Amino acid sequence: MSTVTSWLPLAAVLAPIAGIVLILATRRQPNVREGATILTAVSTLVLVASMVPTVLSGGVPTADLGGFVPGVAFVLRADPLGMIFALLASFLWLITSFYSIGYMRGLSEHSQTRYFAAFAGSIASAVGVAFASNLIVLYVFYELLTVATYPLVAHDQTKEARTAGRKYLAYTFGGGVAALAGTALIFVATGTVAFTPGGIAELATVDPLVGKAAFALLAGGFGVKAALMPIHSWLPDAMVAPTPVSGLLHAVAVVKSGVFAIARVVIDVFGPVQMSEWGLGIPLAIVAAATILIASVIALRQDNLKRRLAYSTISQLSYIILGLALLSPAAMVGGLLHIPAHAFMKLTLFFAAGAIHVETHIDDISDMAGIGRRMPVTMIAFAIASVGMAGLPVVAGFVSKWYLLIGSVDAGHSIFVLVLLASGLLNIGYFWPIVYQAFFQTPADSDAKPLLEGPFGGSPTRTDGGEPASEGEYAVDRNPSDLEKDKPKSDPETDNSDSEAHAEDHGHHGGPPAGGWDWHPFGTESTWFMLGPILVTATGAIVLGIDPQGAIFLDLIFDVVETAAEVTFP
Amino acid sequence: MNPVFALPPAFVVLAVALVLPFLPRREGHALGFLATAGVSIWSLVAPAGVHVPMRFLGFDAILLQVDTLSRLMGIIFGLIAAAAVLYSYSSDAENRQTAFALGYVGTSLGAVYAGDWLTMVFFWELMAVTSTLLVWDYGGEAVRAGFRYAIYHGLGGSLLMAAVVWHYTQVGSFLFSESAGMVAGVPTALAAIGIGVNVGFVGLHTWLPDTYPRPHIAASVFLSVYTTKTGVYGLARAFPDGHIAIAYMGAAMAMIGVLYALVQHDMRRLLSYHIQSQVGYMVAGVGIGTALATAGAFAHVFNHILYKALLFMTAGVIVSRTGKEDLYGLGNLRGFLPFTGIAFAIAALSISGFPGFNGFVSKGMVTAAAHKEHLTVIYYLLLAAGVGTFMSFIKFGYYAFLNSHGQSYDVNYAAWGQRIAMLSIAGLTIFFGLFPEYLFAYLPGSTASAHPFTPGHITEGLILAALGLIGFVVVKRPLSKLGLVPDVDAIIEPATFYGTRTLVRGVTELFAAVDRVVAGSAYEVAGTISDPYALLTRIRRQVTSGTERIRPGSLRATISVSVVLLIAVLGGVLIGLLV
Repeated sequence: MSTVTSWLPLAAVLAPIAGIVLILATRRQPNVREGATILTAVSTLVLVASMVPTVLSGGVPTADLGGFVPGVAFVLRADPLGMIFALLASFLWLITSFYSIGYMRGLSEHSQTRYFAAFAGSIASAVGVAFASNLIVLYVFYELLTVATYPLVAHDQTKEARTAGRKYLAYTFGGGVAALAGTALIFVATGTVAFTPGGIAELATVDPLVGKAAFALLAGGFGVKAALMPIHSWLPDAMVAPTPVSGLLHAVAVVKSGVFAIARVVIDVFGPVQMSEWGLGIPLAIVAAATILIASVIALRQDNLKRRLAYSTISQLSYIILGLALLSPAAMVGGLLHIPAHAFMKLTLFFAAGAIHVETHIDDISDMAGIGRRMPVTMIAFAIASVGMAGLPVVAGFVSKWYLLIGSVDAGHSIFVLVLLASGLLNIGYFWPIVYQAFFQTPADSDAKPLLEGPFGGSPTRTDGGEPASEGEYAVDRNPSDLEKDKPKSDPETDNSDSEAHAEDHGHHGGPPAGGWDWHPFGTESTWFMLGPILVTATGAIVLGIDPQGAIFLDLIFDVVETAAEVTFP
Repeated sequence: MNPVFALPPAFVVLAVALVLPFLPRREGHALGFLATAGVSIWSLVAPAGVHVPMRFLGFDAILLQVDTLSRLMGIIFGLIAAAAVLYSYSSDAENRQTAFALGYVGTSLGAVYAGDWLTMVFFWELMAVTSTLLVWDYGGEAVRAGFRYAIYHGLGGSLLMAAVVWHYTQVGSFLFSESAGMVAGVPTALAAIGIGVNVGFVGLHTWLPDTYPRPHIAASVFLSVYTTKTGVYGLARAFPDGHIAIAYMGAAMAMIGVLYALVQHDMRRLLSYHIQSQVGYMVAGVGIGTALATAGAFAHVFNHILYKALLFMTAGVIVSRTGKEDLYGLGNLRGFLPFTGIAFAIAALSISGFPGFNGFVSKGMVTAAAHKEHLTVIYYLLLAAGVGTFMSFIKFGYYAFLNSHGQSYDVNYAAWGQRIAMLSIAGLTIFFGLFPEYLFAYLPGSTASAHPFTPGHITEGLILAALGLIGFVVVKRPLSKLGLVPDVDAIIEPATFYGTRTLVRGVTELFAAVDRVVAGSAYEVAGTISDPYALLTRIRRQVTSGTERIRPGSLRATISVSVVLLIAVLGGVLIGLLV
């Protein structure tokens, strides 16, 4: 890798900041303001993408702004790992911007200027996180990201939204403090905090106790945004934010800044060799594995779609952590590949949830039977993404899971193979009922959901020759639904809050219409501002699932892992 | 080489599946028929070899490889799909359903024509998805059955995936050509169980009889063919030399499947248990692993696909014409559905292994192979299963077409398309029953020692048939009084239900508690920092038993106290530095 002096990394951070100014300046003309958002998003993407050829050919565009604090320089570098995150964030920001327009206007939301400005600020910080060249610069942008996202979480300005916002700040600033402490330890111990592929060499001579403490602080601190259990609970509550925010920030930019920071710590601060020497990988892998399974189990029980998606995010983020923690090359490839893979799939799911919310004001899965007639394209995209979530082929999730599985066996910890496969089954368990009831059931004939409310095959088998089981024989009748009974208990404060707020605002009622859903032919179910982004992200998930190298990401990841682990991929 | 042989047949069928929903019904089905029939012919003439090597997901892979095994599967998969599309068309199947069915056919073709494990698993998993959609499409009870089907196949596919990945870490390549079968040990164990879900190993089989009776009659025809047979194919790839445990499992499947089939009276459910039983013969053949056994197993794959699809077609006609699924509610149909009756008789004789029909030949090869290897238990189990097969098809035929109490039906004959599909397949089962050498030319393994028409074999077939007839007469009355016979799902179902329910509740409640503690203490700390006086008051009360409250301002220090404190701190620092 060779350093190439370039102003592009800096420009990519500054472009969205300039966008904030533009957005605020044009606040009186919404159409111009939205134009400013799109223009900024396009230019950010162009700036980031223009560095891809250099990076792929081994160059590292670097902008050096000189000293920052003594001993630490303010340098922005677009190395392969940073490019993965920056490319992803800037591309999906463009897509999400279109979607935001459709969503915010569709709901006639208040304070749209603040919303778009804060969004641009979040992206600027995310790109900064991506291009940060050392832990201090990373920390600065990491905290800026928290600040920029707060207005978005609390957007609704309801009590629930403010509570969620406070919880968000408390958790992430708390994590930030821990991360800063870890950074300080590293600096004191080694005299540098600069990211070095393969790890900071001086760490090898450091007292293992100090090194381990630093790692615990860094991983724990950044683990807050990566939603590692048990420090995850800000994330489901943050779902009160408007759906594009939940989609881009709480499935991509914010949470992945945490994951990305952990990737930096593992690959560029400690390095795989030092990690395994100190035995740091396995504890992290165990936490990640537990998070994968527990979050999926909790997701099974969520009836609010966005909350179910949030728990799914918690689970899937830990795939990435698990891949990094296993330290074998294939596992790291799988983990890093899951960053874009999960982003495309989860964004599709959130976009679908948001489109349903805008069009029908429905937020609860139990009200969504037959909704495939009303929103066919949306739900087909949802179905594709949920296949990918289960790690099944044609969709991106298959590829990253495949590498993770190989990496688990390679690392000699085959127990994690079981974890990944069990998680795949759980994903089928909590996503596919949404799909089948959308397309193959109607509000009238939808039945209790599997696993929790009845055996997973439905009614008793018909050995007696074809008489369907009569009412009262289903397990669901003997064991009535958990959902209604337990909903308030599981989370009284925030459950379902945004839907209720909107229902009051706009006078809509939840639930399917009395006579079942009307059929909406292609393109009439929603505006193209929302359908377009849904189709783009779903297509992206498939492209990544079939040709991850053509989609650049896998090549970048190979670069990262080859340098870090000193292996060669064909 | 002709570029047509570099075009994977799977892609052609999948492309048709994609456009089918947007075509008129007749043209769409015609296109589906032509595509699948074309695949069959393509498979017959394609030269052997690797046709489409590629890099896939960063690994070496082969999208299309023609060898003896895959060619045979391609021929029969294409042929039966063409017949089933025709049958679908005249059974009023919607375009969407046939599109899902062709998706299922296409992904199965992709799996059997793959030249490496990665590509095979890729299509294998897709096959699970497309077949689930095919089941779901019918709505109603099929939806939940389809969900269970998905869970089972998710499990099976996952285990196979784990096996393949493990295999890769040992071998360093996914290509079939890089190793003889799967690496023994953990990979083979995982693969056996994973594929075992697909082929219906005893204990992993309940999805089969629960799913296949529920969807549309034409969907059942497709379902009866692809999943289990692709499984047998996968088993042969993983265990090219067989494995004795698999041979015993096959025999057990043959026997237990037929026993459960015998007590069913839902027609398609009866047939579904027979899938397990017949696949048992194939699994036994693959497990025995000799040249004759392998040839017999795949001859049975080929023959079974013909007659089992035919049986599901006849059952489908009965269901759609009479509206009844229960054999005990039928009878005397021979005069009302004559073509269907003839087709059923031929199919029943084939599956039972009556001399002159195709099942006789291939079943005989597997049992003969077991006999040759002195696997006595397997040999007798397979023979006994043969008797059971005769019994249950005599039962089916008796209750559906004979058993006259003067019932009368106001029904039309089977539709033209149905009749053409049924009678042409019936013709093929007789053809391959009389001239098996036309099939032998395409079989893997070796048919050198296969002699189906020796007097001994023919006598054996006739004895089994006679035993079957006697057996049926003996058990007919007790059988008809038998109610529901529980299968292993009577244990699995409640166990999974209450198990997951307990787990989910436990985890959710536990985490709610954890969250309360974490959030509670976090707020406590935050509150103390912003307003420390309450805590200080509490401490003071405990330590000094003073009662006054500490409030803002009451902690203000005088100058002298400040000086003392400052000196104390500086002194402490000084000592620290000196030490």
